[in-house]
Amino acid sequence: MASAIALARDEFAAYTALFSRALKASFAYRQSLFTSMLATAIGYAVPLFVWRHVYRTNPGSALVSARELFPYLLLASCLNYALTMNVENRVGSRIRMGLIATDLLKPIDFQFAQLAHALSDGLFNVFLTLPIAFVAALFLGQALVPASAWLFGYFALSTMFAFAVAFGISFVLVQAAFYTQTGYGIHVSRLALQQTFSGVAAPLLLYPDWLRNAAHFLPFRHTIHTPLSIYMGWLRGGEIVRALLAQLLWAVGLFLLGRWLLRRSLRRLEIQGG
Amino acid sequence: MHSLKLHWMAFNSALQAKLEYRADFIIGMVTSIMLQFAALSFLLVVFRNTPSVGGFSGTQVVFLFGMTAIALGICELLFNHIWLLPQYVVTGDLDRLLVYPVNSLTFFLVSRAELHAFGNLLSGVCLGFGSLFMLDAPWYVFALVPVWGACGALIYASALVILGSLAFKFIGPFPTYLTIAHNLLQATRYPISIYPGWLKYTLLILIPFGTFHYLPATWIFSGASVVWGTLVAPIAAAAFVFEAHMVWAWGLRKYESTGS
Repeated sequence: MASAIALARDEFAAYTALFSRALKASFAYRQSLFTSMLATAIGYAVPLFVWRHVYRTNPGSALVSARELFPYLLLASCLNYALTMNVENRVGSRIRMGLIATDLLKPIDFQFAQLAHALSDGLFNVFLTLPIAFVAALFLGQALVPASAWLFGYFALSTMFAFAVAFGISFVLVQAAFYTQTGYGIHVSRLALQQTFSGVAAPLLLYPDWLRNAAHFLPFRHTIHTPLSIYMGWLRGGEIVRALLAQLLWAVGLFLLGRWLLRRSLRRLEIQGG
Repeated sequence: MHSLKLHWMAFNSALQAKLEYRADFIIGMVTSIMLQFAALSFLLVVFRNTPSVGGFSGTQVVFLFGMTAIALGICELLFNHIWLLPQYVVTGDLDRLLVYPVNSLTFFLVSRAELHAFGNLLSGVCLGFGSLFMLDAPWYVFALVPVWGACGALIYASALVILGSLAFKFIGPFPTYLTIAHNLLQATRYPISIYPGWLKYTLLILIPFGTFHYLPATWIFSGASVVWGTLVAPIAAAAFVFEAHMVWAWGLRKYESTGS
């Protein structure tokens, strides 16, 4: 029993080391931080400007008020950026170059190692979004504050589940890279699906019925729309618990599916190079 | 003539090499079309809540989407190598290019085609021509689409070269400054009139993305001056290409190899 605990402690230390090294690597090129922030801000500002124009020209006609929409869009952009992880490109390029062999030789779990990398991506991205969120908070002020501390607590929990769902989706999809030998296409496909079904560019309430129904059956909405519906106070009491449970189920299901797919993918893996 | 032949050989061999990877080609096509449709789904949501954006109907905005995708597709097919410039500056791989007896910028740009360009081109052609067909546009507008697309590709490539040349001064492996140009181009899928003044100025004058589709669209759809539709895009493209060459020459003067 004691040796099992020691082994688990050692393995956890390995993931922590992997996490901190990956984070340091992200911060190594400080010059690109500013341009990356600027590019991100431009990308996320476009839907904001479009909605601003729509609400100015059609006052009072929308299902979601302007007072709710703009804090939602701002938080959705920040959350989406924080959840941006590079799992597909990282694993894809290692498969293509044959470096996956050295990853598999390490005495740590491949899926947990990717999770540690993804966590470092997330923390790095949170750092990049903070200045953008700060500037926007100056404009939006009180409208950004949640209705209660409880709601904020549920939102924090939901955001953690959202991260687990986002990682689960990426890890399941990246299994295709073992067959295609490239992660780029998988990464872009996931971005397209995330863009369409997560609610990052608009709350799902504003979607046409058929698109909203399609989003309901997919996990992407649990990365953005579910945590923000809690934050904005659109879900109450039992609805919050049900939403959190749904997120948890998706996260666990996707994690297990990814594990099963990885076992199958490794059986047919061909190491490149030599 | 000899230089043109060398450029063609470099482009053709890069394209043939890429086409060897059939799965990449199919994935590239599918994913770029998926990205276009993801953006269109947002447009659908927007037009569910308003009859027009910046005075443009849904179909007219689709024309802007199509033209942007055509320009993006042409640029990705012909000039995509610029995205690797920051990496080459770090590793010193640019040395080899500088000893070739050709124009270093144009030769560098054409020597790496990107396969997802075909997906953007295909979706752009369908959206651009489809929207004009639905809007009953006259024949000469259809004939001008390839000209506008080519001008758009040149303007976008020039913006990438200008921003990419920063890699000579601020050395680092990531092409993050190029993403600024990409995101600004994507912003022009909506009428530029909806943006605040500073962004309008940026998109029409500083980096004139709006000149190859938005200004022509104001001519086609709103009866603005014919000059917007016919002359502005080629003039902006020529001026911006010249500017890109100047900035590239400045960058090369700053370039220091990595040594042996």
